[in-house]
Amino acid sequence: MNAFAHGLKRNGPAWLIVGPFAIVLAFPFYWMVITAFKETTNLYDLTKFPFWWSGGLPQTTANVSDLFHHTDYVKWLENTAFVGVVVVAITLVLAMPAGYALARLSGRWGQGMGVGIFLTYLVPPTLLFLPLSRVVSTLHLHDSLWSLVLVYPSFTVPFATWLLMGFFKTIPQELEDAAMMDGCSRIKALTRVVFPISLPGILTVVIFSFSLVVNEFVYAITFISSSSNRMLSVGVPTELIRGDLVLWGAIMAATLIPAIPLALLYNAFLNRFIAGFTGGAFR
Amino acid sequence: MPKPRRARRFADLFEQRRFLAPALIAPAVLFIALLVGGPFVLAIYLSFTDATAGSLTGHWVGLHNFIAEWDNQIFRRALWNTFLFTVVSQVIVLFAAGILAHALIRPFRGKWFLRFLILLPWAAPISLGAIGWLWIFDSLYSVVNWTLVHTHTVGAACAVFRIDGCSALNPPQWLGNATLAKVSIITVHTWRIIPFATVIFLAGIASIPNEVHDAAAVDGATGLRKFWYVSLPLQIPIATVALLFGIVFTATDMTVTYVLTHGGPFNSSHVITTWAFNTGIESGSLGEGAAVSLYLLPVLAFVAVGMLVFARRAEVT
Amino acid sequence: MAEEHDEIQQTTKGELSRRELLKRAGLGAAVLGVSGSAGASKAFAFAGPHRYTGRYLKNELKIMQWVHFVPDYDKWLDSTYIVQWGQKNDTQVIMDHVNNTELPARAAAEIAAQSGHDLFQFLSPPSAYQNQTIPLDDAVQEVTKKRGKMTGVAYRSTYNPRTKHYFGFPDNYVPDPVVWRHDLWNDVGESPATWDHVLKASSKLKNGGHPIGIGMSNELDSNMANFAIMLCFGSQIQNADGQIVINSKQTRDYLNFMKSLYQQGLTNEIFGWNPASNNQFLISGKGSMILNAVSATRTPEDLKLPFSDDLWIWPIPKGPGGRMGLEHVMGVYVIWKFSKQKQLAKKFLIDQQLAYRDHFVQSKFYNFPGWLNGVPGGFKTIRKLTAADQHKPKGKYSILSTIAERYTTNAGHPGFSNAAIGEIFDTFLIPQMAAEVAQGKLSAADAAKQADKQFKTILKKWKDRKLV
Repeated sequence: MNAFAHGLKRNGPAWLIVGPFAIVLAFPFYWMVITAFKETTNLYDLTKFPFWWSGGLPQTTANVSDLFHHTDYVKWLENTAFVGVVVVAITLVLAMPAGYALARLSGRWGQGMGVGIFLTYLVPPTLLFLPLSRVVSTLHLHDSLWSLVLVYPSFTVPFATWLLMGFFKTIPQELEDAAMMDGCSRIKALTRVVFPISLPGILTVVIFSFSLVVNEFVYAITFISSSSNRMLSVGVPTELIRGDLVLWGAIMAATLIPAIPLALLYNAFLNRFIAGFTGGAFR
Repeated sequence: MPKPRRARRFADLFEQRRFLAPALIAPAVLFIALLVGGPFVLAIYLSFTDATAGSLTGHWVGLHNFIAEWDNQIFRRALWNTFLFTVVSQVIVLFAAGILAHALIRPFRGKWFLRFLILLPWAAPISLGAIGWLWIFDSLYSVVNWTLVHTHTVGAACAVFRIDGCSALNPPQWLGNATLAKVSIITVHTWRIIPFATVIFLAGIASIPNEVHDAAAVDGATGLRKFWYVSLPLQIPIATVALLFGIVFTATDMTVTYVLTHGGPFNSSHVITTWAFNTGIESGSLGEGAAVSLYLLPVLAFVAVGMLVFARRAEVT
Repeated sequence: MAEEHDEIQQTTKGELSRRELLKRAGLGAAVLGVSGSAGASKAFAFAGPHRYTGRYLKNELKIMQWVHFVPDYDKWLDSTYIVQWGQKNDTQVIMDHVNNTELPARAAAEIAAQSGHDLFQFLSPPSAYQNQTIPLDDAVQEVTKKRGKMTGVAYRSTYNPRTKHYFGFPDNYVPDPVVWRHDLWNDVGESPATWDHVLKASSKLKNGGHPIGIGMSNELDSNMANFAIMLCFGSQIQNADGQIVINSKQTRDYLNFMKSLYQQGLTNEIFGWNPASNNQFLISGKGSMILNAVSATRTPEDLKLPFSDDLWIWPIPKGPGGRMGLEHVMGVYVIWKFSKQKQLAKKFLIDQQLAYRDHFVQSKFYNFPGWLNGVPGGFKTIRKLTAADQHKPKGKYSILSTIAERYTTNAGHPGFSNAAIGEIFDTFLIPQMAAEVAQGKLSAADAAKQADKQFKTILKKWKDRKLV
């Protein structure tokens, strides 16, 4: 068999299975790219072929430049990045010890607590945002990004605790016992042995917590009122939908710009995280 | 030199399981209790009152809100829709993510690129992704309809979904027909949860220690047998967690339905979250909105506890 | 200009004259407070409301309102009008804009938080919020003294006959004409003078590939259209005393009309519309008629579409019950009870209404003042201003003043826009009713009966809360 056929045999099945999914999942983004660079009159023209630009090449960068020059888009990106990073840090600080404790140290009541932490998820933010806005205003955090930094861990921490609990459970107890027999205190065993090994789990938590922050909408719209303090998920629908005029091109561009780097980032993390499992302590 | 007695006792304290465990969990629990617990109790209180607008107080009306809502046809439909959307989308997610995760675990050329494409839906903020789908399903400019019309398959699509009066001149209304609106909402939920579930499944598969694979090989289990008797059981705990979170994210989501249909057509696609929002915030009957929201809680709690118990039982230690 | 120059010359290095200070403060406030100003401030705003320390201006007034359809209006408002008003009143005005669909959530959050903005604008009568806002009778009297009576639609949208107070300030409203393609209708030899004509023309237009569009979806335009067509058929939700009278022959006639209209002349897309859809329907060239505010004509003008000169604006077609339309949006301001600037806020409202001519022009005739003489000279002046618009056919916008004067009323006409009407409106029960009958899911008689029961329950609920 020549090299090509050999490659096809090895990679073919994977492509056949994954390919269709990838096409369906990524199609909206292809559509966003086309729309972002289409001229408005072209967009609204029913006779034009929609899947490409008539004329062959991207028609206009006006949508993108409007986004950057006529709105606070850059600020929204910065705000989202800032809140994301800080909230992920807080989440790790709170959830790592808690996840470890639930995985190792607690008996039956620990399971109960674990479930209890999880149940907080079921309370929808569309209900909680009202009492919470009272809390936020009492603390004089209204219209400040710190209000989100305070409130967001309330939904990232339960999730992170659960994930980390699962990961810590897969680390054999023997490793810690070995470390402690060598003279480490439990706390030292935690920080020197367990946490480094669970790096893949930690990375997963980072990815998911960050994505939860980026996705959040209800708190972001109620606690923040001025344009320059807005988060991405709120700024775009608020300012690019003017009554009955929807700036489709700009909205699509606004969605693509964070989505692509984030997907690249998550992809990179995934590599590390799987490598972490197959290399590492399990030999 | 031996540590002074006081310091040693303090250090010993940390060695005690009984002390260490609560110490480690306390910060997280305290944080959540304050931020979620307090407001949650207040929300429960509100559901028993006739509070309006954003007022945090009202007159006590007992169970009136809960009973009144049950008489409302839109509410009952919302309850059913929540269940329908969640179950259908998550079943699809389960299969899709399972297949994808297994296909992605081994290296192959171009895997990185395909994985990137698959991760995209999770990377876009859901409010923006939903607006993107709004355009894809638009009543006039839908690219789906354009494709159907230009490949002359409109009739087939109409027949599959059993829509009356449907033709090339009157193409399917993905957000305007009661059945199709549900299909569209389920599609978007599935679309955005598949990457999420796939990543968690990948974690589960990757976390199976090599010794297990070696042991299975020694015992002669390969291929499908190995999958069914070895790999699958080991993945159940983490798969259950993934499924559970998928269910929670879908059932408590408001954005997708709100952006796509706002509960329409004719209030037929409301879910509990959008109906609660419409009642409590947009129409100002806050106590009623709170009651509607709370209907979801016992059901989800029951499902959650059930699944978690199942996951624990299925753990292979 | 010369005196300013002198003042600046007079100041020593490092010291600014009061005037210069005020100018900079005003600009600063405008720059920081304006939404959509690019690159306004690079620093992360952690401090909260007092972004600009307001060292130079005595007071601070915070206003929340919608993102106006006309971007130039918001630009003018934020960088000219509020700055000038702020300087005159020693106040730093902070204006925040949010999407109109998000106003209720923000309002609820501010009430729960008992803090937020002083002035809050709603786009429909905020009758459900009466317990959280102060009555504005004195502000209303003040303007009435200077400008005479307010319009009927303004009165019925903000007055509560039970409490005998104005719970909101009716700043502006937007008339809702019918926007139609003169060329396409000419081709079928018709015009939308009456709903009967519309029905007759609809099948011809649809067969020609250019149907009309009346939404029956869960969105604002559908609400407006259906409320208005009901009135044209003499069907009312409530009578002048606030009793539910929806179960009537007129309602059945209206519902049957909508059913015939759907069967003969509408396409299925109208069930899946969002607020932008009917505009896009027109912009695509496909649509031949919609019911919408003038945003539907302004966008084709801006995009220089070939048929924008063929878009005519007429009053709503006449029905068996007369000719009556609804306001597209009703701009009502409230002042929260927790505001610390109540007097200043009232002054802002009064001054804004007295200066409404500028607002009317800057909004490209979108915003009509709540008072008959809000633009001095009343509808006569308005007609002159609108007739001067250069878009073809010339003078087409002048009909707006006729529509506003004679054919625009509030939701709940002939009664008041109370909280029960508000809920019926906000939960899209009228488009829902129309859609169910049009699609044959319910007969007109059953739908009217069901609505009667539903609406009476809602009314009772709000009566028990003593808000109606």
